[in-house]
Amino acid sequence: MIRFVVRRILAAVPIGLVVTLGVFALVFAMPGDPLRELAGDKPIPASVLAAKRAQFHLDRPFLVQYGLYMKDMAAGQFGSTFDGQDIGEQLKLRVPVTLRLALLANAFQWIIALLFGTYAGFKRNGAADRLLMASTLFVLAVPLLVLAFTAQYVLGVQLKVLPVSGAGAGFPQSYLLPAMALAVVGFAGIARVLRTSIVESVNSDFVKTARAKGLGEQRVLWRHIVPNAILPVVTIAGYDFAGIFAGAVLTESIFNLPGLGQFLFQAIRLKEGGVVVLLSMLAFVTFVLINLAVDVLYGVLDPRVRHG
Amino acid sequence: MSGGRPQPGEVLLDVTDLSVEVDTVRGPLRLVDGVSWQVRAGQTLAILGESGSGKTVSVQALTGILDMPPCRITGGTARFRGQDLIAMQPRERRRIVGDRITMVFQDALSALNPVQSVGRQIAECYEVHRGMSRRDGMRRAVEMLDRVRIPAAASRVSDYPHQFSGGMRQRVMMAMALALDPDVVIADEPTTALDVTVQAQILELIAELQAETHMAVVLITHDLGVVADVAHDVVVMYAGRVVERAATLQALDSPVHPYTEGLLRSMPSADLKGLELPAIPGTPPSLYALPSGCAFRPRCPLAVGACADVVPPLLHVGPGREAACIERTALPGVIA
Ligand SMILES: Nc1ncnc2c1ncn2[C@@H]1O[C@H](COP(=O)(O)OP(=O)(O)O)[C@@H](O)[C@H]1O
Ligand SMILES: [Mg+2]
Repeated sequence: MIRFVVRRILAAVPIGLVVTLGVFALVFAMPGDPLRELAGDKPIPASVLAAKRAQFHLDRPFLVQYGLYMKDMAAGQFGSTFDGQDIGEQLKLRVPVTLRLALLANAFQWIIALLFGTYAGFKRNGAADRLLMASTLFVLAVPLLVLAFTAQYVLGVQLKVLPVSGAGAGFPQSYLLPAMALAVVGFAGIARVLRTSIVESVNSDFVKTARAKGLGEQRVLWRHIVPNAILPVVTIAGYDFAGIFAGAVLTESIFNLPGLGQFLFQAIRLKEGGVVVLLSMLAFVTFVLINLAVDVLYGVLDPRVRHG
Repeated sequence: MSGGRPQPGEVLLDVTDLSVEVDTVRGPLRLVDGVSWQVRAGQTLAILGESGSGKTVSVQALTGILDMPPCRITGGTARFRGQDLIAMQPRERRRIVGDRITMVFQDALSALNPVQSVGRQIAECYEVHRGMSRRDGMRRAVEMLDRVRIPAAASRVSDYPHQFSGGMRQRVMMAMALALDPDVVIADEPTTALDVTVQAQILELIAELQAETHMAVVLITHDLGVVADVAHDVVVMYAGRVVERAATLQALDSPVHPYTEGLLRSMPSADLKGLELPAIPGTPPSLYALPSGCAFRPRCPLAVGACADVVPPLLHVGPGREAACIERTALPGVIA
C-alpha cells in the first residue's frame, strides 16, 4: 500500500511539471506586455519598469522564468502580485473561500445525485427515472455559464431570495447560488452512472443467490447490491473533483467570490506567470492527492483491484 | 415446520401443475406450462431439457426468486413437506428457502458476491438463519469449506471468489448451499461451466454429501450423461412442458417420448465422449411462435396430422411412467 502511494506520487511529479509548464507557456504566449498594460496610460519611468521586470523575472528567457518561479515556490517565497499584494496573504484569504464553495457544491451534487440516481435505478422506467433521464440530458447540454447567469437573475435579482454576488453575506448565503449552479451541472453525470450501475447490480446473479439464501430485502440491498453498485461511482469521484475546480474558476468570477478561481482568472488576464504557475501547481497537487485517496478507497472497496 | 428430520423416501418437494407466464410487449407468454414433479429424501431428481425449455424459470418460480414482474405464476402448487411455497408470504417462505431448501447456480463466478470474502458469504447463512455471531459463523464456514474438500480451508476462508479456480468456486457455492444442512438442494446446471474432469469431481462430491445427509437433490441439466450417472428419476422438459417422466434406468433403457429418444441417440457413447454428435435435427421452437398441438411436432420423426390438433397430455404409459405423445401411449414392446 505504501509502495503504491509512493509510486503514484513519484509518477505524478513529471506530469505536474509538464502541466504547469504548459499552462505557463500559454500565458507567456499571450500578446502584450504585462507590466505596461497594468500601468494603463500613465507613463512609467524606464528605471522603475526595469526594476519591476527584474523583480518578476520578466527580463529572463522563458524556461529560466519558469525555473525561477518553481524555485521560489519550492522555497515558500510566494512574493507579491504585480500590484503589490502579498501572495501568501492572498492564499490564506482565498483558499477558505474556494474550499467552502467546492465542499458545498460537492455536498449538493452528491446528495442530489445519490437520491436521484438510486431512486431512478430502482424504479427503472418509472416516472422519476424518465424525469431524471430527461433532466440530465438537459443539464448536460446547458453550459454552466448560462445556468449561472439564469440562477443569478431569477433567484438573486428577481426573487431576491439570495445575494446576487460577492461574499458579503458570508457563509452559507453567499455560497448557495454558485454552489447550486456547480452542483446542478455536476450531478447529472454521477446520477446516470449510479442509475446504470444499480440496474446492473440488481439484475446480477449474486443478487439471485442472496435471495435464494433467504435474506430479507434490506439485507440484500445493503450487503449485496449497494457495495457493488457504488464502485463505478467511486471511480468517477476523483475526476469529478477536477470538474468542480474548473467550474469554480468560472463561478467565482461570475458571482464575484474572492477565491482561488477568481485569483487565477485575474492572473491569467494580467499575464502574471508566477501566480498562474503557483495556482495550477496547487490545483494539480490537490487533484493528484484526491485521486490517490479515491484509488486507495477503491482498493478497500473492491478486492479484485487489491489483488490485481 | 412439519418437524424433525425427513424420513428416507419421504416426499419433500411436490410440485403440481406449475405454470409461469411473462408479460412482454407482445402480450403474455407462457414459459412454464403445467409442470409437475416430486423429489424424495435421499434421492436425486434430474430435470433434463435443451436450453430454453423452462428448467430455470420453473425452479426459480417455486423458490420465489424469479423476477416477478415481469414474470407471473399463473397456477400450481409447490409443497415442501406439505406447505405450499407459492401461497406463502415472502417472509414465511424465506424461512424455508435458504434454510431447508437451498440452491446452487451454474456460474459460481457471477453467482457469488465479488466484493465479499467467501467466508462471510457462507457465514451469512448462519447469522441470518441461526442467529450466530459473525465469528461463530466464520468458524462454521471454515468447517464447511473443509467439508467440500477445499485445501487449506482455514486460510482460504477470507479469500474472495475471484481468487479461486472454477472448480473450487463451485465447491464454495456448494459449501454455502449445504451450510445449514438443508433437506432439498436445487442445483441448476452446477457443472455446465466446468471442464469434464472437474464436472465429475463435483458430481461425485454431491453424491457423497447426499449419502451423508440424505438430502434430496433436484439436478437441472441438459446433459443426459450427467442424468445417467447420478439421478434416480428424470423429468424431461420441452418448450415449458414435461414430455416424459420415468425412473432414470427405465428412461435410458426404453425411452417413450420421441424427444427423449432423440436425446438418447445423440448422447456420445463412452468411447466417443467429448465428440459433438449430431443432435436432434432442427432447433427448439420460439415461445413466441409455438406450433399448434405438440411443440415437438416439427422436429419429430413420428409426427402425424393429428399431432397438430391438441397439445398432447401427459399420459400414464406404464408403472411410474408418463409421456406426452399421442403416437406412443404405451411402453415400447407392450404394443407392437
Ligand atoms: N424475464 C424473462 N423475460 C422473458 N423471457 C424470459 C425471462 N426469463 C426467462 N425467459 C424465457 O423463458 C424461457 C425458459 O428459460 P429458462 O428457464 O432459463 O430455460 P432453461 O433453464 O431450460 O435453459 C426462455 O425462452 C427464456 O428466454
Ligand atoms: Mg437454465
